[in-house]
Amino acid sequence: MFLIDCPYCGEREQSEFKAGGEAHIVRPKQPTELSDDEWAEYLFMRKNIKGIQFERWIHIHGCRKWFNVARDTSNDVIKVVYKMGEKPPTI
Amino acid sequence: MLNYTNVITEKKTYSGLQMDEIKPVMKLIIRGKKREFLSAIGKSLNLLLPTSANTSSKSEKLSALWLSPDEWMIYSNEISSPNNNHYETENLLNKNICKTNLGAVTDVTDQFVLINMRGDKIFDLLETGSPFNFNNFREKKGAVTQTILAKIDVIIHNQNQNEVNLFVRRSFSQHLFSWMNDSASRL
Amino acid sequence: MTNNLRVKSSKFIDETYKISFKFNGTTYYGYKGDTLASALLASGIHLVGRSFKYHRPRGIMTAGSEEPNAIVQLHINTSRTEPNVRATEIEIYEGLEASSQNCWPSVNFDIGGINNFLSPILPAGFYYKTFMWPASFWEKYEYFIRKSAGLGRSPIEPDPDIYEHRYIHCDVLVIGAGISGIIAAKTAAKNGFKTLLIDEKSYLGGSTIYQNSEHFKINNQISSSWLEKEINEIKKIKNLEIKTRTSVAAFHGYNFLLARENLTDHLPLNQRNNKIRQRLLKIRSKKVINATGSLERPLIFDNNDRPGILLSSAIDKYSNFYGVACGEKNVLFTNNDSAYETAINLNQKGIKVEAVIDNREEVDSKLIKEVENNNIRVYKGYTVVNTSGYKRIKKVSIMKLSLDGQKIIGSKIYINCDCLGISGGWTPAVHLFTQSGGKLKFREEDQVFIPNKSFSDQISIGSCNGDFTLDEILSSVPKILKEFLNIKKSDFENLEVHSSFNKSKRNIWLLPSDKVIGKTKPFVDYQNDATAKDIKLALREGFRSIEHVKRYTTTGMGTDQGKLGNMHALGIISETAGSKMGELGTTTFRPPYTPLTFGTIVGRNVGKYFDIFRKTPIHDWHVENNAEFENVGQWKRAWYYPKNQENMHDAVQRESKAARDGAGILDASTLGKIDIQGTDASEFLNRVYTNAWSKLAIGKCRYGLMLNEDGMVYDDGVTTRLDENHYIMTTTTGGAATVLGKLEDYLQTEWPELDVYLTSVTDHYATISVCGPDSKKIISKVIPDLDLSNKSFPHMSFKNSKIDKIKCRVMRISFTGEHSYEINIQANYGKSVWQRCMEMGKEFNITPYGTETMHLLRAEKGFIIVGQDTDATMTPIDLQMDWIVSKKKYDFIGKRSLYRSDTIKENRKQLIGLLTENPDEVLEEGAQIVADINKSPVEMLGHVTSSYYSPNLKKSIALGVVRGGKSMIGQKLIIPMENKQINVTVADPVFLDKENKRLNA
Repeated sequence: MFLIDCPYCGEREQSEFKAGGEAHIVRPKQPTELSDDEWAEYLFMRKNIKGIQFERWIHIHGCRKWFNVARDTSNDVIKVVYKMGEKPPTI
Repeated sequence: MLNYTNVITEKKTYSGLQMDEIKPVMKLIIRGKKREFLSAIGKSLNLLLPTSANTSSKSEKLSALWLSPDEWMIYSNEISSPNNNHYETENLLNKNICKTNLGAVTDVTDQFVLINMRGDKIFDLLETGSPFNFNNFREKKGAVTQTILAKIDVIIHNQNQNEVNLFVRRSFSQHLFSWMNDSASRL
Repeated sequence: MTNNLRVKSSKFIDETYKISFKFNGTTYYGYKGDTLASALLASGIHLVGRSFKYHRPRGIMTAGSEEPNAIVQLHINTSRTEPNVRATEIEIYEGLEASSQNCWPSVNFDIGGINNFLSPILPAGFYYKTFMWPASFWEKYEYFIRKSAGLGRSPIEPDPDIYEHRYIHCDVLVIGAGISGIIAAKTAAKNGFKTLLIDEKSYLGGSTIYQNSEHFKINNQISSSWLEKEINEIKKIKNLEIKTRTSVAAFHGYNFLLARENLTDHLPLNQRNNKIRQRLLKIRSKKVINATGSLERPLIFDNNDRPGILLSSAIDKYSNFYGVACGEKNVLFTNNDSAYETAINLNQKGIKVEAVIDNREEVDSKLIKEVENNNIRVYKGYTVVNTSGYKRIKKVSIMKLSLDGQKIIGSKIYINCDCLGISGGWTPAVHLFTQSGGKLKFREEDQVFIPNKSFSDQISIGSCNGDFTLDEILSSVPKILKEFLNIKKSDFENLEVHSSFNKSKRNIWLLPSDKVIGKTKPFVDYQNDATAKDIKLALREGFRSIEHVKRYTTTGMGTDQGKLGNMHALGIISETAGSKMGELGTTTFRPPYTPLTFGTIVGRNVGKYFDIFRKTPIHDWHVENNAEFENVGQWKRAWYYPKNQENMHDAVQRESKAARDGAGILDASTLGKIDIQGTDASEFLNRVYTNAWSKLAIGKCRYGLMLNEDGMVYDDGVTTRLDENHYIMTTTTGGAATVLGKLEDYLQTEWPELDVYLTSVTDHYATISVCGPDSKKIISKVIPDLDLSNKSFPHMSFKNSKIDKIKCRVMRISFTGEHSYEINIQANYGKSVWQRCMEMGKEFNITPYGTETMHLLRAEKGFIIVGQDTDATMTPIDLQMDWIVSKKKYDFIGKRSLYRSDTIKENRKQLIGLLTENPDEVLEEGAQIVADINKSPVEMLGHVTSSYYSPNLKKSIALGVVRGGKSMIGQKLIIPMENKQINVTVADPVFLDKENKRLNA
């Protein structure tokens, strides 16, 4: 079980959080303009990296805020936690 | 008159621990992001909302708990009459916050059950079911946390040395209180 | 009783406190402080069990948690029975009853012992090879294999004990209270760290505490006396918590550890009632110090498993700590200096040591000298080649080793003995370190794996870090601690240490024999009966990966997890395969380090705390009125209210009829309710629902359907506009939490510019739905001030109101197709309002109905239930709900997916109604729907999603999903059942009142 440093509430146990998949996938502003393939790219295609992965997490049993996490999937070490809307850090 | 039927009917006493429900207590969730929102609340209630995480503020009549950067719970320090559910504070904030589009005010008086815990074994009980680290929390008067106890969401407000107020959603409260009593009986 | 082998009183044993216990039905005696193993050894009992595969007699081999042989069943045939308890760990108590496992009829005469003679035909992988063919025979084989599988018997009665969990947060956790752990705990605690020290034993001090030798001194005191003083000091430190009888089971990432604290297992049974037996500690520590010590290695030679063969360090502990002699004629066999400590100790206590056999050729040390000076014969450069004695060792035969250690030379020498101590050097206990993700490195000089890199803030000290001797420990530990804890000074620097131990060691993984390997039984894994021969066979058959060899031979897969033999298995593999140990890697050590009871894992999450239940404000009324309950998510919902011994069907038929003929009342408090405020609330609803919301007037309600981005139906419910910028949304009961989460997700991540706030008010309101032709009359009595005329209060509208002085909201909405009202009032008044509705409705025969009737009534109207009539593959178009999908709106969640190539296909599964040929035949929900039963394979067109007998239509009705069903109205289909076929006709899913006349009746 990880310890996650919620950017709002501080360090809490993983059981207070829920993972929300890959981060920085932006919903297209004009979905109707997209081809089936382009829409499918947004809808279904996800990376599955061994190494640093950018993920969304929500502090579901705390402040209920979403935020981003950079986690090394090979050893679960969380390198950086940053707020929604912020750019992914270079690691 | 309609009967007022709350969930927890008995005050429970163990060595080093007492637990009972305090009711009826007005509770509001207020939400807003703008600076004007904070100042309007301050003026309306004569109470500064706490802006640091996991803290609270208090006036003579009200307590305000930080829940999130744009969310607070305000609850009354006094009990109200079960024969009436019109709250002055709610009406005032509806006028000064909602009508002016500064934020949101929602009555959650019966959304949460307030369990008052007293005694030196409070944290021994909480440690049997909560992953939260209470080491610093217990020393800090006014500290607030939202966490899990026995897999149920709770808000815990450290009132004083050996006294906390614990808020739990009403539908879970009977289960949680029973669990707390089971745990307390073996502390 | 055999002769008493207590040799010397020990301060760890209270000889004034005599305890009787039973082993295999015979009564024995021991003293307070004894383990079952030490008490049995004191009575001359070595043979305690039979091995798993060959049923060979086995004896106590160790004095700790690594024990592979002495595992017993406690209190057989009682509710407290427990299998696989290590006799070396369980402390005896008055009334203890233990018995051997894996033997029948008795440990002394075991029929399964025949397997030992069959062993040539029971090689590694025997089961895999033999029972594979013919495949159809498996069921027959299985019966016999299951009968002989497994160790011990699981309890069949409910566990009478209580278990508990506790979270602990500390700055420093020290695992292991040997000399390194004591130094670490004191250093950490004295420097202000909140420290937790735990040890699996009942005492502190590890193996140093029973050292009593002039050869090991600290500051000129015998090491045990020095340590005892330190222990007395740390017990007084306030910020140091000490837990004994507590073993770490798992060390996860982020310094999260699980440990089992044993509270009552050492108490007589009658003192255990109402006490917590074991507590699972969930420990979060900022820093972890591993001081888990090391395990002595056995030596691998032919017949190295007889009762009477123990680790040399175990013999040492039994004599020093428990005051018990393991034998009267001892022989020690070693490749390092450790066995000489044992020889000296035994000799001092007057226990006879016949010889020490040392595989090292040219070796000398103070310890060896002292042994030789005591006229104990030392055979240097020799190895044991065989042993004899069936139920107890009688003799060893030894031969000279060749210089390269690969062969034996010369002639055999026989030495009589009743106990053989073996010492193959020490293996650091790195199990927990590797569990946490730590990587090991191999140290060539003494062939051990030691901790290398870890991913959390932890350190390994002492012998688990490969520092085995007292001088090494005391010079390295204080330095490591200073750096790890970032402190300037340590009390333990500059200690004066005297240690006579010589570090030389001659490591030979598999000792040579005078026989070919096929004729020998050199055991590597004692519990699973895996020999060096099996490992070599696996390699010959082509297995190369250490993980594969482990599984094929079952090496390391017993309850001891191969604590003794894993290193030898690795060594033999690398030697045979010609690869280097360091490159071969190790098998993965998985939690738990020692077995855990299910009770400990589960804690108090049993019985009524197994799962959480939620109750509505009206719950007690339902109970008082005989309701049966249904679990809906975590909610307990009233299912139906049987009257006068009615069965479920009769009750539901009565309730359904009453709701349409007169009035029904339903507790709908479980529906999710979300308060939505903000200047962009209408825009937000436009984006999350498929239909349009901007034009909904204040005071009006609207049904909404919510999709996922993939276009599939996610949730539905009625939302009411309370004010310009204020809505209240209802969700399904099960969807409440996830819908709120999804909406917050969009608000926070995709549309942060919207001024919208969401607050859950599900629990704040009791929701009471009164429906039926008489509902208006009832509500007018409950709330006399409310104008209920159709003009003022039409269908799909809401009014603020009061009952007595209590404010409430009344919606005129319907899920049954009947004229109906929904009262939402603060939860603590809910029961009282419900009772008032019952009282006022009495004259109209108001009938409470539960979820089953609710489902029936809505099915008559063809209303869907999300999650019952839909799964995650149904679009609104599939549900024939095109009317609710706005064509005008530019975008909403899932809109784009509604015209993907897949979602616009004509032959998708679509919602339809089904009518049976025989109106009394009720379909089974989930039954498959087909058109042609003779086609092979039969093509499944869809399935039944909802099915009831409608008392109002006096016929069976069903909803289902069928491929291309929309265009099949009137077509005949077949529902094949186990013993019949049911003919059905596809129908419109709305069975009752298609014109919605009843809504305004």
